[in-house]
Amino acid sequence: MADEDQNYSVFNSRMLVDVVGDVTDEALKASRMKDIIGVLAGRMFNWGQRKSLFPLHLGIKCCALEMAAAGASRFDAERFGVFFRSSPRQCDVLLVNGPVSKKFADPIVRLWEQMPEPKWCIAMGECAISGGPYFQSYNILEGVDTVIPVDVYIPGCPPRPEALIDGFDKLRQKIIRIGAAPGDARPDSGAPLIAGDE
Amino acid sequence: MAEMWISMGPQHPMTHGLWTLKVKVDGETVVDTEPDLGYIHRGVEKICESRDFTQITTYCDRLCYASANTWSHAYIYAAEDLLEVEVPERAEYIRLVAIELQRVASHLMWLGAYGPDIGNLSVMVWCLREREMMMDLLQELGGSRMHYNFPRIGGVKRDLPYGFAQRARAKLKLFLNRIQEYEALFDESTVFLVRSQGVGYAKPEEMVNHGVTGPNLRAGGVNYDIRWAHPYSVYSELDWAPPVERSSIKGADCYDRYRVRVEEMRVSASLVLQALDKMPGGADTYHEPEDPMILAKAPSRAPEGTTGAHHFEDSRGESMFYIAGGGEGRGKQPYRVSIRSPMFITIPYAAKCMIGYKVADIPAIMGSFDPCIGETDR
Amino acid sequence: MGMTVSPDSQKAAAEALVAAASGIDGVDAEVAERSSGTNPRYVVVANASPGSWRTLAEKLYSEHAVDHCSMVTGIHWPEGDAERKWEVVYHLMRTGVRDPPNENGIVRPVIVNPSKARGASMPLELEIHVHLPDSTTPSVDSVQDIWVGADWNEKETWDLVGIDFDGHQGMRRVLQPHETPKGYHPLQKQHHLRYHGFVEMYDDAQGFMRKPADVGKIK
Repeated sequence: MADEDQNYSVFNSRMLVDVVGDVTDEALKASRMKDIIGVLAGRMFNWGQRKSLFPLHLGIKCCALEMAAAGASRFDAERFGVFFRSSPRQCDVLLVNGPVSKKFADPIVRLWEQMPEPKWCIAMGECAISGGPYFQSYNILEGVDTVIPVDVYIPGCPPRPEALIDGFDKLRQKIIRIGAAPGDARPDSGAPLIAGDE
Repeated sequence: MAEMWISMGPQHPMTHGLWTLKVKVDGETVVDTEPDLGYIHRGVEKICESRDFTQITTYCDRLCYASANTWSHAYIYAAEDLLEVEVPERAEYIRLVAIELQRVASHLMWLGAYGPDIGNLSVMVWCLREREMMMDLLQELGGSRMHYNFPRIGGVKRDLPYGFAQRARAKLKLFLNRIQEYEALFDESTVFLVRSQGVGYAKPEEMVNHGVTGPNLRAGGVNYDIRWAHPYSVYSELDWAPPVERSSIKGADCYDRYRVRVEEMRVSASLVLQALDKMPGGADTYHEPEDPMILAKAPSRAPEGTTGAHHFEDSRGESMFYIAGGGEGRGKQPYRVSIRSPMFITIPYAAKCMIGYKVADIPAIMGSFDPCIGETDR
Repeated sequence: MGMTVSPDSQKAAAEALVAAASGIDGVDAEVAERSSGTNPRYVVVANASPGSWRTLAEKLYSEHAVDHCSMVTGIHWPEGDAERKWEVVYHLMRTGVRDPPNENGIVRPVIVNPSKARGASMPLELEIHVHLPDSTTPSVDSVQDIWVGADWNEKETWDLVGIDFDGHQGMRRVLQPHETPKGYHPLQKQHHLRYHGFVEMYDDAQGFMRKPADVGKIK
């Protein structure tokens, strides 16, 4: 419990917190309350996360205009809790809405890594799914899923704003199913969903 | 005070697209700038070398996505120059309607993005609401909200739908009333006036030498417009004049560029109304697709040695396509398609315009030049 | 009504320019009639040898008010004659734009009446072809100091096609990533697109000929 060299009390506040934590943990486990609290808290977090998805303010190409139209007055996405943020540190959805070029592959991976867990990625439009009409180009990656794990694909060139809102809805259904596990703990049931596939 | 380079972008709410603007600042003053483009370089020019002439139209829509119709028409005029096709007059009128409606929609998108740059967020939702009106009209014409693939070599893909003229007139009348609301919102806002007047001066002769044309040039007090200088389509038969702003001795500032575009929306709306009135055959008659009134027969091969080039007045300046024939498939595909993008030339110039102003002026100046990175990076 | 430059006066101006330009050694110019859907347009088309390009450019700028460089295109002709393996096409324009005059503090806009455009305010299009002989590093004189609009166009031409410009300050990769390997210029004809020569396994691989009755069938 203590170093021989130290001559202060071995029981400092850090130790107190650890011991109390351990004791409480044992008590909760014994009374099965821990599982109940875990389930309830998980459900509440899950509800909070899926009802307020904050995508990143990233506009790559044409689908960005449909994203803007989805956020504007006719197709108001904000009523679904979708609110665009400028800083990746404050977002949980990376909405990739255009082709990823070789020059942009590095920044987009950095943006993805800057986003804190839990995070999801939506590939919007053909260029993000597979390279789109530019699949033969020397400078475009064949789909953003070559560099980032994608959760929902929204086909279209560009997809209508209604399709984008449906894509967010599919993401919500996926979050209900797989919970908010960090990326490496995600079970295989987190297979990507394709909006429009019923 | 030490100087440092700040990198704005590629993911930045100000940049209206994916590019990096590196600014060297001394305190708050911008001392040097360096734009860094190429984040969505798709190699369209190379891809077009293995596509048929009709397949290339779909790529041209996606060049500048805010103004898709103007770009596909720019390509089609160049292809018609290459293949030597004569276009029926009714088709030219329909094209004019599509181009000018698209110009209105593009300027509305610009205004809707420029307002938030300055700090006026309500104008974004207002302009996007009007843009939805224009996009409904364009959707009736072209079939899709954004990439219409509307013109064909020799004409257009289909005629005006039933009732289009009536709906267009009603919507444009409503729109012309609404423009006054936006003007009021901006002109009565001291914040907007202070942030945009006296900022970002640009003089016309210098602009032309740098390659800047279009509304940015007309804001400087000269009325150069390719629609009358190298006339195409039926602009010569309609009564219009490009709007010009009276600028100051130092040149055009951001406020002038804003005013030019608002006036251009009015001019484009009136052009559409005139075209609907003067359409040969009447705006309410409907011809089937591939009727010779709206589509002429065009050859599909361009032999080697032929070239086609056409300058076009896009929403952002002068766009141009140069096509060299004689490619694969014994001339079914072009040998080289070269695309001139006005924004590719204007962005370095706009970056030069920023030198000497504060960092807070950067969104105002950049936004007033109306960047669209899709056409820049091709 | 009729707010346009008349094709005849444009033709006259084009012919005047052609006459002046043909005086330079190595330049061969003519007036080409192109169409633009409904109206004819007259374009000055010239072929300049690489050695005379710079002289021609300076003359056009200083004497004929050609003030706008629209586009610089580079083309690779691997199957052309030995003297015409590379081509640079310059599209220049005379816009007739001049700064609004300052009359005692009042700046009046310059409104050109199109039907009355004359001389230096007559808009004109020029297309100048410079053919370069076979070389692994083709190059042509830069006109960056005459028209600043040619600056980024020349950078792009070098970046994508590989034609170098003598005297160009600050040549760098402008559309491709900065780390692109030296000597990689994708628009040269020996570089092919991805899936070039790809042979489909099935006829109608994308299902363009499918009918509603084919729902459920795989091939």
